[in-house]
Amino acid sequence: MKADSQPPEPGARIPEQDEAALVARVRAGDRAAFGVLAERYAGVARRVARAVLGDPDDADDAAQDALLSALVKLDQYDPRRPFGPWLLRIVANAATDRRRRRTVRRVEQLDPALVAGGARPDATTERRALSARLRAALAELSHRRRMAVVLFDVEGYSHAEIAGILGIPEGTVRSEVFHARRRLRVLLADWKEQE
Amino acid sequence: MTREPLPFDHRPDPALGAALRQALEPEEGSHTGFVARLLARVDDPRGAGSWDRVLARWARVGVAAAVLFSLAAGYLVGRATAAPGPSVAEALIAPRTPVVEVVLASVLGN
Repeated sequence: MKADSQPPEPGARIPEQDEAALVARVRAGDRAAFGVLAERYAGVARRVARAVLGDPDDADDAAQDALLSALVKLDQYDPRRPFGPWLLRIVANAATDRRRRRTVRRVEQLDPALVAGGARPDATTERRALSARLRAALAELSHRRRMAVVLFDVEGYSHAEIAGILGIPEGTVRSEVFHARRRLRVLLADWKEQE
Repeated sequence: MTREPLPFDHRPDPALGAALRQALEPEEGSHTGFVARLLARVDDPRGAGSWDRVLARWARVGVAAAVLFSLAAGYLVGRATAAPGPSVAEALIAPRTPVVEVVLASVLGN
């Protein structure tokens, strides 16, 4: 879990070397290897699920369900292809399904003290305020657009890979990323003006 | 977040990526608890995703695939090694009455 205490730079990809060997060990019945695989992908799975669901507890439930589902379906995974996009497709589906099933939509409320105009006593508070504002901004986007921009700008996947994960054409991914960025910039414009 | 994106820019935006990553990271700042809870679910023998059930499922799928493969291979090998059927001429001079297809094949062949 060293990577958790010092998260990699945005866009940094999980190395795919020896990933096939790790998957092969899991398929051979090595439970510890599944633990390693889960540790590697816990971060991206939780972030993508949270981008879709907003609520962190819902997102964790969806990410756990997806990782378990991936374990059950691991015999269907083609080891010649990268593992990350295959897993993230399951995560995206699990989060989307949970979002559809959710009867009561829980929207994160912004702390008025953290929003524009409030005092900013320190860097931590300021960072938290920006994060809350970004989550609110993400919630304004369609869930597909959210996933596209997070997979591209946060997780570093290519347009082609995101197209495979979301099951949409590559051109649509480019469009979704572009519009998501533009929308986020508009929503965050007043924040930038205060800096 | 510092530059205006070009239409369909193919490069990730590091500033926006960092800010979004920060916003989506769990509050506890670590995935240790998450992975521990996941592995506890894997170890729970009553759960649908329990390790024993997963292994049993893979084994069932493997056995089914092996049975199908064996049947297919057996069929192909059996067909390849089977004795060839009688020729048209042999069928015509055979003591029993030739079937209509054999007679037609003979006529068309001539």
